[in-house]
Amino acid sequence: MGEVHKSRSIRLLVFIVIALAAFFLSNVVDELRVFQGASLSVYIVAIASIVLLTGYSGQISLGHGALMAIGGYSAVLAHNHWKVSIPISFAIAIVSTAFFGSILGWAAARLKGPYLAGTTLALAVGLPSLANQFSVLGGEQGLAFDVGAPPKSLGSDFTQYKWYFWICALAALIIVWITQNILTSRYGRQWRAMRSAPISASLSGIQIGRSKVLAFTISSGIAGLAGAMLVMTLNLVTPSAFPLSLSFAIVTGAVLAGVTNLGGGVIGALVLVAIPDIADLLAGKMGGAEKISANLPGFITSLILIVTVLLLPNGPKLSKLVSHKTK
Amino acid sequence: MRLFSTLLIGLSSGAIYSLMALALVLVWRSTRVVNFAQAGQAIASTYIGYLVISRTDNYWLALPVALVAGALIGALVDVALIRTLNKRVKSGPAAEMAPVIVTLGLLGLIRSTVGMIWGGDLKAYKAPVTNHGFTFGTTTIPFSPYNLLIVITTVIVMAVFSIIFQKTNLGLSLRAAAFQPEIARLAGVRVDLVRTIGWAFAGGAGAVAGVLVTPSNSLSPNSLDLLLVLGFVGAVIGGLESLLGAAIGGVVLGIGLAFILEYVSTSLAFPSAFIVLILVLLIKPSGILGKKGGRGA
Repeated sequence: MGEVHKSRSIRLLVFIVIALAAFFLSNVVDELRVFQGASLSVYIVAIASIVLLTGYSGQISLGHGALMAIGGYSAVLAHNHWKVSIPISFAIAIVSTAFFGSILGWAAARLKGPYLAGTTLALAVGLPSLANQFSVLGGEQGLAFDVGAPPKSLGSDFTQYKWYFWICALAALIIVWITQNILTSRYGRQWRAMRSAPISASLSGIQIGRSKVLAFTISSGIAGLAGAMLVMTLNLVTPSAFPLSLSFAIVTGAVLAGVTNLGGGVIGALVLVAIPDIADLLAGKMGGAEKISANLPGFITSLILIVTVLLLPNGPKLSKLVSHKTK
Repeated sequence: MRLFSTLLIGLSSGAIYSLMALALVLVWRSTRVVNFAQAGQAIASTYIGYLVISRTDNYWLALPVALVAGALIGALVDVALIRTLNKRVKSGPAAEMAPVIVTLGLLGLIRSTVGMIWGGDLKAYKAPVTNHGFTFGTTTIPFSPYNLLIVITTVIVMAVFSIIFQKTNLGLSLRAAAFQPEIARLAGVRVDLVRTIGWAFAGGAGAVAGVLVTPSNSLSPNSLDLLLVLGFVGAVIGGLESLLGAAIGGVVLGIGLAFILEYVSTSLAFPSAFIVLILVLLIKPSGILGKKGGRGA
């Protein structure tokens, strides 16, 4: 017990150090990097939702982009109609997406591998475009999302992007902290048992169905928050903010680090944020045509995804995890 | 009249879903992979057909060229990627997930490659016959000569497939390799080769679906995403195991969606397809033609 407390306080210390580092970094780097920091936070949260769902409970989802869309639209609708503050609109995004996720999870718990993959892929393809058909959701133009200028007390040279970064980084730190604690809790252990040995798990009293639905619900809530953060950095929510390639990117980020590790998810998120820059560099060398630069990021992401699965199917961290378990 | 016309429209869109469903089922039976890259393979083939159309203005040349290209791409995917994958990933927690993720990655790879070559703008794809509906007396129904062409082409492709599967030695090998690979191998079937041929057939069927559906919409790197989803729903309705089931599942879905579009609301097409998918999976996962105790994974 004492050891658990000790590791928990060390982890808290690490989080505080990261938070301070992010705070200082946001003051020295330029605007673009600050914005990338905000994107990084969005990806970290989105990847955390996949790590929890796929890495722990063993359910695959190719449709988390659609769940992010639900979170994004919920946050914007709540903010614009009820004039709620940012934290409240984020909380509404989490709750509404988790609610949708619990319904979806109820069905998902009964589906296996490829069926679940196909169903969630269908969601990623079809759901965001549904917004085009309801005028309350703003159609193709979407809805503006204005969270307002940073508070005056932060000084007059405090930029809008830095404000987004602060909000996103704080949200990401809190969510990763909570997720980490969920994963090391009873539920995390149940999910892991369920994933690696479903029959033994159910024999030792784990209710597989209920446990899977719980994982799907929590994961959806986290994805919903990522969606709300994303639309805040974009200033608006549109169906095209949640393309199929977003779902692909999140899966890639999670797979890169072997899907079972939140810290690895941070590295995955870093890669995702870096890809557009790398693609720009390469596209410039290839002549810089618009069609090249528009498609190279997707190309690189997909290539990384394929190569990772072929070379490191079980991820770089998995051997560590297994030896840790048998101790 | 309206009823009859809706039925015909549903038949024509359902025919295309059937072809996509058939492509998915062919690969699933032989390799146990739901090939999400099918939409990518089909879009690449459709763009190759577009090359032919833009040079020669001849749809009838584009269709077979796309079909052959689709078959070659399908075979290439199996040889280059799926065989490697099966060799490298045999067990472990990734074994079940790896094929899904690899085909997903391949879908992204092909879509972005197509985008890099042809750009993201919409291309018009000219239909060989008019897309204006047939006229009876004073009424014009939505069903057009082009829709009729879709149905006829699909019936021909399906007929060729069923002859190959039921009447030829190759068909027998394909069925044996899907049913019991080990025993088929002992009986002298070259299972790996036969599987690649299955992928080639699937690629050809997907390419035909792409070339048939595109004149009604327009062509862009992601214009076949929805077709993939609807093909998957059709395949699941048919039980994912049976070729006949895929054909029926696609048509059932097409007619069902046509009626919802015509009589209920145009905005409900995707939600109803999704609800049908969930309901079939929950209530009768083995599909409408499936035998009891259908496969789980």
